[in-house]
Amino acid sequence: MAVDLSMPVLVVDDYQTMIRIIRNLLNQLGFKNIEEAKDGRQALEKLNAGRFGLVISDWNMEPMTGFELLQQVRASDKLKATPFIMVTAESKTENVIAAKKAGVNNYIVKPFNAETLKGKLKTVLGEF
Amino acid sequence: MAAAEAALKIRSAMEQLRAADVRDRPLVEVLNLSHQMADAMQAFFGSMDRSILGEFQYIADFIQKTRDEISGLQANEIKNDRIPGASMELDAVVRDTERATETIMAEAEALMAAEPADLDGYKADVDAAMMRIFEACSFQDLTGQRVTKVISTLRHIEERVTKFANALGVVDATTKESAEEARKRELLLNGPAVNGPATSQDDIDALFA
Repeated sequence: MAVDLSMPVLVVDDYQTMIRIIRNLLNQLGFKNIEEAKDGRQALEKLNAGRFGLVISDWNMEPMTGFELLQQVRASDKLKATPFIMVTAESKTENVIAAKKAGVNNYIVKPFNAETLKGKLKTVLGEF
Repeated sequence: MAAAEAALKIRSAMEQLRAADVRDRPLVEVLNLSHQMADAMQAFFGSMDRSILGEFQYIADFIQKTRDEISGLQANEIKNDRIPGASMELDAVVRDTERATETIMAEAEALMAAEPADLDGYKADVDAAMMRIFEACSFQDLTGQRVTKVISTLRHIEERVTKFANALGVVDATTKESAEEARKRELLLNGPAVNGPATSQDDIDALFA
């Protein structure tokens, strides 16, 4: 089944520039319905209030990290099936494994390029 | 009363008793014992006085050395000039990089949104945008210089603190980690690694394969 490019995507990062970069890349790939949150707590509020087809989140944020957001999402009956991609500068193997165990669908290390993001989106969502 | 003064008084009292030609044997023995005790006490208190004096001298020397080392640390200069200066430089780095990023992204977004119907006009727009992007990239030279200044300040502080710690034989104390510190250590990680990612994207991909 083809990916619905009109589905809402939530981009979570405390750096507006990074949100803007991911938004532009997603736009280039055809995604048009992109929302943003500046930390895990704000993201969780938006996720609970709406219906999102994908979360792309940074790790290091206050007051709620991307990892805590991932745990909350996976613990929620309503949200647990939401695809979740971590995009972070954190690249220690133990952190990647911890995120995988917590249920992340894929993991991108910053800095990344458009091809990497596109590849992970295809892996997680399917061809588009 | 000083120890030497007390010993002198005891000795004087005994000599007065001797001069009075006291013949009571037990009393003479007591006097002799008292004499020996007074001598011993004089020696004891005398050495104790010298020992305490030495200790106080050591403490005074240590305090003076500490004052000299603190003075050499030039803490006021670090606090009033160097740290605020470094902080201003870093603020400027953040401001310059933000401004440059904003310019570059705005130019790129404008180009992506442009309609290339008029190819000559489109090329002129692209050329102009590229020139503005090149200009914006000049921030790198300035930020490089600013960061060099901050590194110089950090090295200066490091040298002073290391010298101070070595001079005083300071040993790091173990401190109890607060709940907030523990949370940061466990959940907020270290950011980008110095020499590129600790685990490459290929290795991460292998974990998810």
